[in-house]
Amino acid sequence: MKVAVMSCIHGNYEALNAVLSDIDDHKADKIYCLGDLVGYGPHPNAVVEMIRALDIPTCQGCWDEDIVEGLNSCECSYPSVLAEKRGKLAHDWTNQVIHPEVREFLAQLPLSLRDENLCFVHGSPHNQHEYLLPEVDAFVAMERVLATGADILFCGHTHVPYVRSLDAGQLQIRVKSTGTTERDISFSAPLKRIVNAGSVGEPRHGRPNATYVIYDTDADQITLREVEYDYQKTCAAIIDNGLPPIFAWRLARGLEFAERADDPTHVCER
Amino acid sequence: MNDWAILSGIEGNLAAYEAVLADIKRLRQPVEELYILGDVIAPTVESEQVIQRVRSPQQNEPVPQVCQGWWEEQLLILHGLGRTGEPTELIERYGIEMVKTLWDAIPREMVEWVRSLDFGLFELDCLLIHGSSVSVSDELTPDTPAIQMLDRLMRMDANTLFCGRSGLTFQYEIQQGTVTSSMTTLDRSTSPQAIAVKPRQVVGVGNVGRLPGQASYALYHPNSNQVEFRTVRYGAGKGFQPASP
Amino acid sequence: MQPLNITLVAGSIGAGKTTWIQQQVHTTAETAIYLSLDAGETAVDSTYLAAEVPGLTVLSAVQLANFLEHPTDGCVVYLELGFHIDLNSIILPDPMADCRRVAVLPPGTRHTEWHGWADVVVTGSEASITLRQPHLWRSALSGQVLDSASLNTFWCELTNGAYGTIQRAKGIFDVADGRSLYFDFVAGLPETTDMELNLPRWLNGRPDRFSGIEIVGEALDQTAIAQTLKDCCLDEQAIAYYQQQIKDLIKQQGEEVA
Repeated sequence: MKVAVMSCIHGNYEALNAVLSDIDDHKADKIYCLGDLVGYGPHPNAVVEMIRALDIPTCQGCWDEDIVEGLNSCECSYPSVLAEKRGKLAHDWTNQVIHPEVREFLAQLPLSLRDENLCFVHGSPHNQHEYLLPEVDAFVAMERVLATGADILFCGHTHVPYVRSLDAGQLQIRVKSTGTTERDISFSAPLKRIVNAGSVGEPRHGRPNATYVIYDTDADQITLREVEYDYQKTCAAIIDNGLPPIFAWRLARGLEFAERADDPTHVCER
Repeated sequence: MNDWAILSGIEGNLAAYEAVLADIKRLRQPVEELYILGDVIAPTVESEQVIQRVRSPQQNEPVPQVCQGWWEEQLLILHGLGRTGEPTELIERYGIEMVKTLWDAIPREMVEWVRSLDFGLFELDCLLIHGSSVSVSDELTPDTPAIQMLDRLMRMDANTLFCGRSGLTFQYEIQQGTVTSSMTTLDRSTSPQAIAVKPRQVVGVGNVGRLPGQASYALYHPNSNQVEFRTVRYGAGKGFQPASP
Repeated sequence: MQPLNITLVAGSIGAGKTTWIQQQVHTTAETAIYLSLDAGETAVDSTYLAAEVPGLTVLSAVQLANFLEHPTDGCVVYLELGFHIDLNSIILPDPMADCRRVAVLPPGTRHTEWHGWADVVVTGSEASITLRQPHLWRSALSGQVLDSASLNTFWCELTNGAYGTIQRAKGIFDVADGRSLYFDFVAGLPETTDMELNLPRWLNGRPDRFSGIEIVGEALDQTAIAQTLKDCCLDEQAIAYYQQQIKDLIKQQGEEVA
């Protein structure tokens, strides 16, 4: 069976269509979405309607939550004052154009999804705002997967896809406690994996193409997919709709529009 | 470098705190630093006196460095200064009447001091905190899964995490460990690398005031990285005599 | 009285006029004076040279007039002429009529109007792009304090064509930690020069010294450039906050402060 996982569409309808086409070509049996359907991009309503029409199970992203709650994104994600201002503009624009039923839909999205030994979250199991970057300490990464009880943890939020395998994890512990004798504890874990599904609508890997992942359960193989599409259409729509034109320039170069995942040790308190 | 004394959970028990201070003064090795990991207060009127005593160390006592505990956080929430809006945890654990009890017990003037306390302290390579950097309520015990203990240490890249939420004295040493990590991105793959954990530990520093007549706390020798636990008995009728130095 | 030792320096965009002048001043033992004839309200080159070349006196046009009335003996004067100044229409005051004319040009250029005008042609940097209709845009930013990370983002966007094709961009910026930074970009050269100017940190409110930007390019989106620069600026509260942080840090370390 093939499971397609996508994330961070960010109102980019052109990109979503191209990815769905690609998923079709690869004959995936199931599709999951890790949230951030809206924000930054010019067609948030169309994206959500498409996801609903296809009944794609989706968990709630940080932007989805922010639009529902009327909050602004955690300021620790903005690397500069300039980025923060641009993010706010994007938030205000999205807030204005979102249809009420779309907002309601985003509000009822679960924080995580589960399918057998697979778990799906937006940021991390603990927090929609936590970035699970590739450089995160291996044991911290292990803790994240183990916390879900799954074998493979699918996440998004960073907008750069990767597959990380953590194998043969083991720890040796000695515990001393007043009133009890010293004891030794051994911990071990089998193969665990973290898969970041990248971003459909706001790629940050230096190219404008959409990214998502396919997991083949029979072959136990994970493939990172990069899909070309007519991103100029999205660029035109960004400008036509009154979003900051610099977003179009940055999309064409696969650069973040505003937020950036920087510090692998930072754990967002929000 | 001289020793550290690390306490938690005075919980408004002035006699217990005095007993610990007296014990510290009797130690052979001088104690240079005194850390108090939260729960200085409890919902009792006596807490005010404890706060005064903590803020007024005598000449021959180290100046305490204090961080916020669970009770302090609940108090701040009641006054609209906490990290969350509603005292849900307080009500869940102690019932709705506790809201008024806590509010009445601690005068407003003390709230500013509570507010000024750090969430946690970081000295040398040690994190000193009430619960963990996740929250004040994060209760670490010898039964906490190993990988979780390691995560709490790694979040702050601390070699030692001193905590007090559980009230237990324990030393949880992660002596060694490995995991094999490999990574694939769009443009490249790295081959599997064995990553080793360096030795780290979580130390529960006990509790000073909850158990009447008996206080426990921890001593840390930074030079040798040794941890020692002390139990102090106090109170009338216990025949308590200062031990000979 | 000796005749004044005056050199006029002209040349194409990015050829290296200011750099050549800087080299001349370093090798001369005499007192040196610099003036940029086109500066207008932006004085990036003047400010840069004043900060970086010890012993160089920078004059404004008004001050030059005073100087010519009572010149000091043994002085060398360098007068830089911006690319858009019409060489034939310059009218120099009498004391300056007998001056040396130097053109700094990229290698391989011949038969330009500079060649007709100059006494000496100096070979400077390669030109990578030549615009048909170069447009100069500049803005003074004196008194503004910029967020460094925002400035870097803006500069990267600017020099990579987000706001038009840029041939030359240079600026002096006051940033949050009190430093004055000099940025210099020439199309074709891989790296922007960015360095801290030899000026004291400004840690008391809005800086009372020059900062600003000069851009030469084509199809410049001036509104977007101006708006983005504005978005990089910090408000009074933020300025006060950062300045206090630095002051506290410095107190701990015992440095000197403006």
